[in-house]
Amino acid sequence: MNSITENDVIIKTPHFGELHVSKEQIFHFEHGMLGFEDLNRFVIVSAEESAPFKWLISIERPEIGFPLLSPWLIDLNYAPGHGYDVDKQAFFVVITLEDERGKMTANMKAPVILDTESLIGIQIILPFDKYSTNFIIEEK
Amino acid sequence: MLVLSRKIGEVITIGSSVTITVLGVDRGIVRIGIDAPKSIPVHRKEIHDKIVEINKQAVKSEFSALKKAISKSKIFQKSDSNDKNMNEKVLNFSDSNSDTKK
Repeated sequence: MNSITENDVIIKTPHFGELHVSKEQIFHFEHGMLGFEDLNRFVIVSAEESAPFKWLISIERPEIGFPLLSPWLIDLNYAPGHGYDVDKQAFFVVITLEDERGKMTANMKAPVILDTESLIGIQIILPFDKYSTNFIIEEK
Repeated sequence: MLVLSRKIGEVITIGSSVTITVLGVDRGIVRIGIDAPKSIPVHRKEIHDKIVEINKQAVKSEFSALKKAISKSKIFQKSDSNDKNMNEKVLNFSDSNSDTKK
């Protein structure tokens, strides 16, 4: 169903309907997301009504969307380690609604890193045990 | 599956860029050293599998349920430190696409 115009890619999403995505907004994930290795192009969608969540939506399969949050909204001291440039890279963690009661968890151990200059994205697994894969976000 | 026997200190190569060294064996626990280029992620399988499972759960998150969860939670500010890095690389739904909303 996806059609391509000169500069935009048009995708149809369940949440947002039809989206016009500029090529400069498409991040390339060489390895995909873990478990979704065949999906290599994603766009970050931000919507006022669901701020501060963002959505990592697949260009190839727009029905696939990961809810994201900045890890620093959850843990001010979040430190993914050396070798990252927080001026050129954006960090997000994947959010899961665990059950019908709406308990939210964040996967602090496997952040998504986006390089905003090269438009390259990757989901890494932090090689130390400090961070949980299902950190419960308190509802205060 | 290829099965190889190695002594402590001996090495296995995979392709030309990955080496696996048996560092030691102690009471049923084998210590393995792996050298691989940064482009080849190396992880304990159970952690990798768990994150695959979480990702598959995450994409099932309903937009409406998330919105409800956000409204219940008071911990969230509306913006974060990523925003200045992302700026025009983010597709803002309310700005450019509101006319196409279904």
